[in-house]
Amino acid sequence: MRDPSTLLPTRRALLAGVAALAVRPAWAADPVILGVSGPLTGPAAQYGAQWKKGFDLALDEVNGSGGGIKGRPLALQFEDSQNDPRQSVAIAQKFVGDAKIVAELGDFSSPASMAASPIYQRGKLVQFGFTNSHPDFTKGGDYMWSNSLSQSEQSPQLVTYAVRDLGLKRPAILHLNTDWGRTSKDLAVATAKALGAEVVATEGYMPEERDFRSTLVRVRDAKPDGLILISYYSDGALITRQTRVAGLTQPVVAIGSVYSPKFIELGGDAVEGVYTQSNFFPEEPRAEVQDFVKRFRARYNEEPDAFNAYAYDTILLLAAVMRQYGTSRLEIHDGLAKIKGVPSVIFGRVAFDVATRRVAGANTANMQVKGGKFIAWDGKPAIPRS
Amino acid sequence: MNWGTWLDYTVNGLVIGNIYALLAVGLALIFGVANLINFAHGSIYTVGAYVGWVCITHLHLPLLLTVPLVLLASAVLGVAIERLALRPLHNASRIAPLLATIGISLVLDQVTQLVFTPNPRALPSPLPDWRFQIGGGSIGTLDVLILAVGLGTAGVLYAFLRFTKLGWAVRATAQDMDAAKQMGVDTNRVNMSVFAIASALGGLSGMLVGMYYNNIDPGMSFDATLKGVVAQIIGGMGNVPGAIAGSLLLGLIESYGIALFGTSYRNLFAFVLLILILIVRPNGLFSSAKETPPEPMTGSFVARGKPLAIPRPVLVAVAVLAVFVPFVDSDYVVQTATNALLYGLLALSLTLVAGTVGMVSLGHAGLLAIGAYASSLMAIELGLPVTLSIALAGVVTAVIGTLLVFPAFRMRGHYVSIATLAIGQIVALVILNWNSLTRGPIGISGIPPLSFAGIPLYDAPQAYWFVLVVVVALALLQARVLSSHLGRTWRALRDDDVAARAHGIATDRYKAMAFAFGGFGAGVGGAVTAHLYSYINHETFNAQISVLALTIAILGGLGNITGALLGSVLLVGLPEVFRGLAEYRMLIYGVVLLLLIRVRPQGLLGTA
Repeated sequence: MRDPSTLLPTRRALLAGVAALAVRPAWAADPVILGVSGPLTGPAAQYGAQWKKGFDLALDEVNGSGGGIKGRPLALQFEDSQNDPRQSVAIAQKFVGDAKIVAELGDFSSPASMAASPIYQRGKLVQFGFTNSHPDFTKGGDYMWSNSLSQSEQSPQLVTYAVRDLGLKRPAILHLNTDWGRTSKDLAVATAKALGAEVVATEGYMPEERDFRSTLVRVRDAKPDGLILISYYSDGALITRQTRVAGLTQPVVAIGSVYSPKFIELGGDAVEGVYTQSNFFPEEPRAEVQDFVKRFRARYNEEPDAFNAYAYDTILLLAAVMRQYGTSRLEIHDGLAKIKGVPSVIFGRVAFDVATRRVAGANTANMQVKGGKFIAWDGKPAIPRS
Repeated sequence: MNWGTWLDYTVNGLVIGNIYALLAVGLALIFGVANLINFAHGSIYTVGAYVGWVCITHLHLPLLLTVPLVLLASAVLGVAIERLALRPLHNASRIAPLLATIGISLVLDQVTQLVFTPNPRALPSPLPDWRFQIGGGSIGTLDVLILAVGLGTAGVLYAFLRFTKLGWAVRATAQDMDAAKQMGVDTNRVNMSVFAIASALGGLSGMLVGMYYNNIDPGMSFDATLKGVVAQIIGGMGNVPGAIAGSLLLGLIESYGIALFGTSYRNLFAFVLLILILIVRPNGLFSSAKETPPEPMTGSFVARGKPLAIPRPVLVAVAVLAVFVPFVDSDYVVQTATNALLYGLLALSLTLVAGTVGMVSLGHAGLLAIGAYASSLMAIELGLPVTLSIALAGVVTAVIGTLLVFPAFRMRGHYVSIATLAIGQIVALVILNWNSLTRGPIGISGIPPLSFAGIPLYDAPQAYWFVLVVVVALALLQARVLSSHLGRTWRALRDDDVAARAHGIATDRYKAMAFAFGGFGAGVGGAVTAHLYSYINHETFNAQISVLALTIAILGGLGNITGALLGSVLLVGLPEVFRGLAEYRMLIYGVVLLLLIRVRPQGLLGTA
């Protein structure tokens, strides 16, 4: 049976080939195809859309000036999972059974990604989870790899910024009540304690929640001297807007996932002054970052966010692995363990810890929203030292 | 906590209740007249928000021009829904329009997403933001405007229903459609007007709420429908002033729930109270028993009709063919078939309680979750063999499920659906909050794979055959039971439970037996799923799965065993077949679903 869905990537690859004509003659060989399992429809579709922008920008680079993978164009086969484990396992079987797919990227959430892991592991196809910070994700087997910033790195860094640099002594934490939010919160509480601060309240909320007024009264009554948000940009903006309405004036320190132009668009004036961290920022002089930001702006006429950057980084990383070590499934698996020094927007240079199959040492910049833009933190504590 | 703090919680409860009221009024109006829970209401709300967004941020229109445009666009949409999708189903049954609204909601959400991209958008309010200090917090111009719109529409609706001729016609139609027709009321026109008014209101509320949060996205409709439905149940279904009171009460309940237990208990507290309200006052808090429109017997809720007779040799041939599915040599096809079978287990269970006994459950995913957690925990913590833990999980689910649904046994029609919806949510929220047992949102990883007699079933075909055996065995058992005196008793309960009681049937006991049987099947389905996925958390079995299960059961034909299995194969298979359409596939799926309902409103294979 001819699967209709394979028509699309082939056509896309053809287009990529046509686009590349200006640079080089037609591709001599078939494309190298990476499978993507992620949400294009359903409630998480906005994140899949952000991925796509990062992917497409990276593909242009790989197939344009980069000359493809050993003379072959790189292409993606993006399958919509709706972030639903039932569909991500079917996609996993599809990819494992399709010899053209050399590695897989995704899925988005832990339930959807980790349900598919046993299939990828047994099928010996690399599952590269670039948004999977769940501590157990890479424990699924030696074919599970991730360059997602692990919570054990991200969360303590945020709290160090909030407590040591900004001077919060009694923070309250609001967190998404998901596996990511909960793990981050636990790590944040431990770090705060180690730094000598006392977390006066923690409140977990559901991703679909929009009303936080009563939660904020509860937070207010715990008398915090600042708020730490473990949120994505949409809910982070909602909370920050409502803090001002609920009569809270304390500084807000939000985790790097809010680093998105959408946070400022949705938050409006209320997010002015919010502190956050980012793994890259447009003014950063590193060539990778400058190149990424410039081309992203030129192509989409907007500022890139963290999800765009991860998607972009991931394609460049896998392209580097395939150029150096080959394009078979096994070569990619082995290559990930060996690769070192790949330039990256998020990490400076990428190398994996072979035991955990994760990357450590992301660049982290302290940022603040000022004048409706993210700018580098000016070094002044939010709470004057007494 | 001091007095000032409670004042803050009260104000905040009223503020959010105010927002729910806008949604609940429209839902109540449609329910009052068409006797229908309009699942598409939240989608109209989303469309209204986006129409407002286009007017304000792209066309730069003033609010005074935007509001009439939003009202008009939403009203036209409402009329189109009524005319094109619901009126043709008028004489089918009451369950077919319900399913149609689910399909419409799917299509509208997908269209919104395709046109406006899934990214959230800011919808800035053009009003000056004057703020009034109350207690520790403040309320702004939009709060006041939303309150005014809520009260204003309630007032206008009241006057319309009391003092205008069309209003009388609406009330007459709500009371008794056939009598209204005989008196010369054009009930089609009435229905259309009601949909226009309710949808206009829904669209306007979407725009106002979008401005309130400065945030709109195409995924916001499901939650809006859910909250609106709950609010209007508290107030009394179809009761417009009650819907406003119920909404404010729901807001207060949530706010006090947060005050007492913390944010993660917000919905748990609200849903538990909803169940209590349904038990104590099944017609809602603000409806006297006399005034409520007669909720029809469950018998008319489920369509009557003859099931399509499928000759036994055909069934046997299909079953034999099913055994050979793995020989297509594509693990992807086999995995999809396994998924379809697992949904088949869920649908078998639902078609029994909903179709045969007449208790339409909207919380069936809760049973899957119980079975999945029970089996995973028994296999991991107690080290039980997987086959044993799956069987035990079925029993655990049967017991817990029956106990949970027990309070709903006395309820009828829509109230059962809402109670089970609440129970399904409660199960998910308990899983989320009971950290010591379920590890909360972190979930359970490393669940051992399916195995039989100690041999792990890693391959897709092995897992498929395992599930196939379970499904065939349970389907045959269910068919056997349905043809016995037990099955006849269940159908008697569905068709007329007063008559059944008069004949000395202990209704509660028979309903409990049905839920125990159905709970076992669903629990086994959940357990097998958990062992296939190896990782589950509170999100794995969400409310959308309950809705999909009901869609399958209704599409196949309620009570129809073969229909449930056929429905599963179709509704799990179609989105896979449409994969090549990428972003468009769920839209096409929604359209196909609507067409199927249109062609076979009694279900593909008919109600058994």
